[in-house]
Amino acid sequence: MKVLLVEDHVDLAKNMHTYLSKEGYVCEVSESVEKAMSKLGGFKYDVMVLDIMLPDGNGLDILRWVKQTDSEMGVLILSAKNSLQDKIDGLELGADDYLAKPFHLAELNARLKSIFRRRQLQGSSVIEYQGIQIDTEKHEVKVKEVLLDLTRKEYELLLYFLVNKNRVLTKQSIAEHLWGDYIDALDSFDFVYQHIKNLRKKITQAGGKDLIQTMYGSGYKFAAVS
Amino acid sequence: MKLIFKFTLLFLLISMGVFFLGGLITYQVVKKEIDEEQERFLLERLDFFTRWIERRQPTEPFIRDKIQVYPLESGIETEVVFSDTVVMHSTLERLEPHFKLDVTKEVQGRLYRISIYDLIVEEDDIVDSVKESMIKFYLLLTVVMLIVGGIAGVVLFRPFNQTLEQIKSFRIDQKEPVAFDKTGTIEFNKLNDFLREMTAKVQQDYRSLREFAENASHEIQTPLTNAIGKLELLLTSGDLNEEDTNRVVATLGSLKHLSKMGQSLNLLTKIDNREFESIESVDFSNTLCLAIENFRELIDLKSISLETDNQENVMVSMDPILTAILINNLLSNAIRHNHEHGFIKTILNHQGFSISNSGIAPAVEPNALFDRFRKDRHRGEGLGLGLAIVKKICDYSGFTVFYGYNNQTHHLDIAFNT
Repeated sequence: MKVLLVEDHVDLAKNMHTYLSKEGYVCEVSESVEKAMSKLGGFKYDVMVLDIMLPDGNGLDILRWVKQTDSEMGVLILSAKNSLQDKIDGLELGADDYLAKPFHLAELNARLKSIFRRRQLQGSSVIEYQGIQIDTEKHEVKVKEVLLDLTRKEYELLLYFLVNKNRVLTKQSIAEHLWGDYIDALDSFDFVYQHIKNLRKKITQAGGKDLIQTMYGSGYKFAAVS
Repeated sequence: MKLIFKFTLLFLLISMGVFFLGGLITYQVVKKEIDEEQERFLLERLDFFTRWIERRQPTEPFIRDKIQVYPLESGIETEVVFSDTVVMHSTLERLEPHFKLDVTKEVQGRLYRISIYDLIVEEDDIVDSVKESMIKFYLLLTVVMLIVGGIAGVVLFRPFNQTLEQIKSFRIDQKEPVAFDKTGTIEFNKLNDFLREMTAKVQQDYRSLREFAENASHEIQTPLTNAIGKLELLLTSGDLNEEDTNRVVATLGSLKHLSKMGQSLNLLTKIDNREFESIESVDFSNTLCLAIENFRELIDLKSISLETDNQENVMVSMDPILTAILINNLLSNAIRHNHEHGFIKTILNHQGFSISNSGIAPAVEPNALFDRFRKDRHRGEGLGLGLAIVKKICDYSGFTVFYGYNNQTHHLDIAFNT
């Protein structure tokens, strides 16, 4: 998957680049409207991660231009303003999603994968890993062909683990993924724990492997035990 | 009272004094003129009687109406003396002030004392007529002034009223500067110039403040995102020992706290800057219902029992975004400052909304909780801005908010004041 990162904060772009490259994405970085335009003119990308506030203009201008020429590409807007108006404007212009700064890299990854699935994988919306199958269209999870009865949050949690497999996910990042801004730190960690406990139970009861590893102090990792 | 009428009244008051003095002067002038006329008239009569005495040479006193001639045995001639006297008026049959001429004069070798008196214009007639004309003038002036004042009030003050209207409709966040029309009055032009400069300055300041708030948010959030990303990459590398991992996770927590604080302060600034202007009729019941659904899971996870007594179709006039923020803040507060197996109770009706929840007593004075960064020392996780935001939204929307604590229960009551 080819991703164009349009972000003027070079160091931040580097973080995204590092994280996404490990996921097997091909990433390129543009730090201005002008550079992004010239890249978009010459190459084809699957998804563009677009910061709205750029030194030489507004990211939404790029979006407008892109939507006129290449409607295939998915667009994820990044904004530091976290203003509803920006979000509405962006989505109305045809962006697929909106992510407010600060975000967790795992969250960015999950959102990009979701855009990618929606746009590219028509027909094949099934993600499979170590005997666990998630059908992202039907919102169904199967373990060894047995349908799991998961709550909405448990489903979201499992999907988040799967798209960020082999990565350490902090409790904070999980809590924010599940509840967004409704929740404040400490309380939510217990809730995360309870959801993970239930999810583990449901997977193992269905005969699946318990792939959720507790990383001491930091969070959880979804990976096959080596 | 309208300025123009104050001005008219003052003018009429001063002109009353002027008319009074004018009356006195008019009286003096007329009186002097009449006196001169009377003197001339009496002197003519004296000539006439002198000639009459020359012809008749009377030896007996001659007394007629308005003339007395007494032949004198001895004496000396005197100058003509004018004086006032009171004489019985023959036709009016009452005493009237008269003008009198006395002289002792030698005619044909004999001395005569001659007194002639007459009345041309009575003195109080002069007073009366001066008084009457002054009063009539004054009344005329009053009427004219009131009419002129009324018209001038509309015509002269039109630019002023126009300026007032423009200032009334002035909104600090409007993009274009206020355009005042050029008027023919120096004072109004000065006022308009001043207002134009002032409103432009205010708009400029407001824009800078707003831009600053937005940019500050951007400038803070982007480096925070960078820092969080770096730490997450560090965690993902997997080379950290337990101690280092804990440090990284704690740092992540602090960064998140910082970011949320920035967002909350930004929100407070935005409310202060009156950026939430889309006041409309919001379905409070519906917004509350949706928010409760969002929080349902968190409420269940903490085994809190929720009791609701919410009327449907409670419409409140406020900004819809602020409505959601207000309700979310109240609900998340009620969950956060609660204990396991506690309770939350909400009551919504057309008068107001109240939410109460179990929880330990606040360590600070109840109403100080509305201040920024006032929070309970026992629970460090909150930002200390939640209730400040609640208060600000309520103030902004014209609601009254009250906090109280009794029976191990926090009560927060909002009156819609509709």
